[in-house]
Amino acid sequence: MSTRMSRRTLLQGTTAAGAVASLPRFMTGPAFADTAKLSVFSPLPPDPAPPGAAKFSEDAFAQWKAAKGAEVEYEMLAWPQLHDRMATAFASGSAPWDIVYMCGWVPELQSNIIPYADALPKALVDDLPQSSFSTVTVDGKRYGAVFTLSLLTLFYNKAMLDQAGFKAPPKDWDELKRCAKELTHDGNYGFVLNYGDPAGIGGTASYWMTYLQQAGGKMYGEDGLPVFKGDAGVDALQLMVDLMPFTDPGSISYAGINDATNVLLAGRAGMMMNWPFMWNAGSDPKQSKIVGNLASAILPAGPAGSASIDGTDAWTITKSSKNPDKARELVEFYLDAEVQKRQVLDTGWLPIRLSVLADPEVQAKAPNAAVVLEQAKHPYDSFVTADYNEVTVAVGTEVQKALQGQKTAAQAIADAQDQVTAIVKRRKS
Amino acid sequence: MTVTAATFEQRRRRVGLLFVLPALLVLAAVLGYPIVDSIMLALQRVTLTGGAIQQSWVGFDNFQRLFADATFQRAALNTAYFSAMEVVLVVLISLGVAVLLNHPMGRFGVFRILLIVPWAIAPVANAVLWKWILHANYGVLNGILKGLGLIDHYHVWLGTPVSALNFLLLVDVWKSVPFVALLILAGLQRVPSILYRAAYMDGAGPVQSFLHVTLPTIRSVIAIAVVLQTIWSLRVFDIVFVLTRGGPADATALLNFLAYRVTFNFLDLGYGSAIANVIFAITMLLAILYVWLLWPRPAGAKR
Repeated sequence: MSTRMSRRTLLQGTTAAGAVASLPRFMTGPAFADTAKLSVFSPLPPDPAPPGAAKFSEDAFAQWKAAKGAEVEYEMLAWPQLHDRMATAFASGSAPWDIVYMCGWVPELQSNIIPYADALPKALVDDLPQSSFSTVTVDGKRYGAVFTLSLLTLFYNKAMLDQAGFKAPPKDWDELKRCAKELTHDGNYGFVLNYGDPAGIGGTASYWMTYLQQAGGKMYGEDGLPVFKGDAGVDALQLMVDLMPFTDPGSISYAGINDATNVLLAGRAGMMMNWPFMWNAGSDPKQSKIVGNLASAILPAGPAGSASIDGTDAWTITKSSKNPDKARELVEFYLDAEVQKRQVLDTGWLPIRLSVLADPEVQAKAPNAAVVLEQAKHPYDSFVTADYNEVTVAVGTEVQKALQGQKTAAQAIADAQDQVTAIVKRRKS
Repeated sequence: MTVTAATFEQRRRRVGLLFVLPALLVLAAVLGYPIVDSIMLALQRVTLTGGAIQQSWVGFDNFQRLFADATFQRAALNTAYFSAMEVVLVVLISLGVAVLLNHPMGRFGVFRILLIVPWAIAPVANAVLWKWILHANYGVLNGILKGLGLIDHYHVWLGTPVSALNFLLLVDVWKSVPFVALLILAGLQRVPSILYRAAYMDGAGPVQSFLHVTLPTIRSVIAIAVVLQTIWSLRVFDIVFVLTRGGPADATALLNFLAYRVTFNFLDLGYGSAIANVIFAITMLLAILYVWLLWPRPAGAKR
């Protein structure tokens, strides 16, 4: 039998299809159990990412989804694009996520997320360092849970230091400068960092903030206005300027930490500040030419001792989430002890749970964990505020000018303070 | 009073307008609304609080802020230099390429296909490609120059303000030349060959033919290329974002990048809109010039 398609049959067919499409979903769709759909906004690995986005705890994740009747979708972006994507989505009122990754942006985006952390189980909260909540707390309310202990520490090439006659990593600023100088020869440099991007945690300004605390300074006074235009601020920048002749000259053009990491792992630089993830990369022969020679230590002390900054990688839940309880349960899964353990063993990102950090297997696989815990005994304020990006661009740009010799350290710090004062006053006005 | 029936021409125009109306409505929604909204935003202080956008009218405060903002002034100067140099370089190189392609030996299709490659590459892919070419440690450019013995150590091409801005310029010129070259080539192919024969009969050499026949004939095409390239150079964003993030020390911050940074990174939507409106005003003026150049004129009339 043959059928012939006429305009009439075509019209009838499309009308019928339209009528079916307009029926309610329960009349047309297959019968499913009630499943909760969760959407998670996360960084792309190798930056810290959850199970299912990074390759760890995949079986446990599948079991959790089955047990909870939940579907989890990930939207992942390269780390440098996260803030702007999120801020745009929140500003336009079209943020589609239940859970979002935050990195120092909680004060800025606080009005779009809920203070869920107080509802986390007590056993879990007790197993987290209380200081880890400082960067996710606004007006006394806890808006997030940090999921990785991520402080800057010193990473160095043991073989290069040995050859230069240094049996131990530098303990203070003078040793740091002397060591960097001795390591600089034959195309190799004593130090490398990514000074190309002024903004954000892990940007140029945040490195200066690390030295600022080592010098005994702080960013803001009690009134919220900047107070870094003093000896500590200038000394911190002067140290960075003094290190420049022994710093890989490409540093000023490296916009991301991975560019600088690659230089150290290629054996072309002796030391750098970096996040704990570097340990895994440095131990992988596919990524590193210095396997077995990478070592870690707490950051050299300034006049006030050692200090660092906090990576502040945290999970938060959006106000627009239709399933905030289920979203909180997913965060609890991310912070489960076994998942935290696989996180460090498989990806190199340290756990935040104290019990997991104390696990012998974890300490054997990630010997830098002990260093990070030691670093955590010293100050590690990231100075996050509602205008953190604008502040760090202003400070980081002035730091870059000093590093390039366009300004003295004192002039750059004075100009930076003026700009930050204007930014803070504008926000408060 | 007598009511006269509409003429055929009046009815034809009325129906024509009716047919064009949906397109006009779409244009108003897609183009007109964002433009008007952007201008309104520029007159407000906009903050993201309480889960919603808080707006308050501030008149021309955001525009006044531009005059006191050293970063804006730096970006405006960078953009002026970038645009001027880009237009000069792109048009000159494209003219040379077009003349070569118009030569009998250059008329193989493969040359035109090769020419179009840089233009066809996606903007971000193009920027990432150049990131690796210019990388201070692993860059192809350093490798080639050192291999040829032209440099004795690797250079940080994006490391100093002057070098970084000029390398961004180079990257954008590389990407822009193909389209403008094809535009000028189309103009060259419209030059009547009889003019060249007449010039030859008058004793003109190749250079004189080019100066007195070719250039005057394609003058309007070059003018269009200049205007279009100026507009495009004001819109440069991707190469700045991928290669330098505006650094070092704002040396490569162009106006379009600054508008993005202020709006989406600082979430200062009002001030960001003011910067964007400055770019829009300049672009609008150039677009009007472009339309004026293309407007049909009676034969023999001068532009």
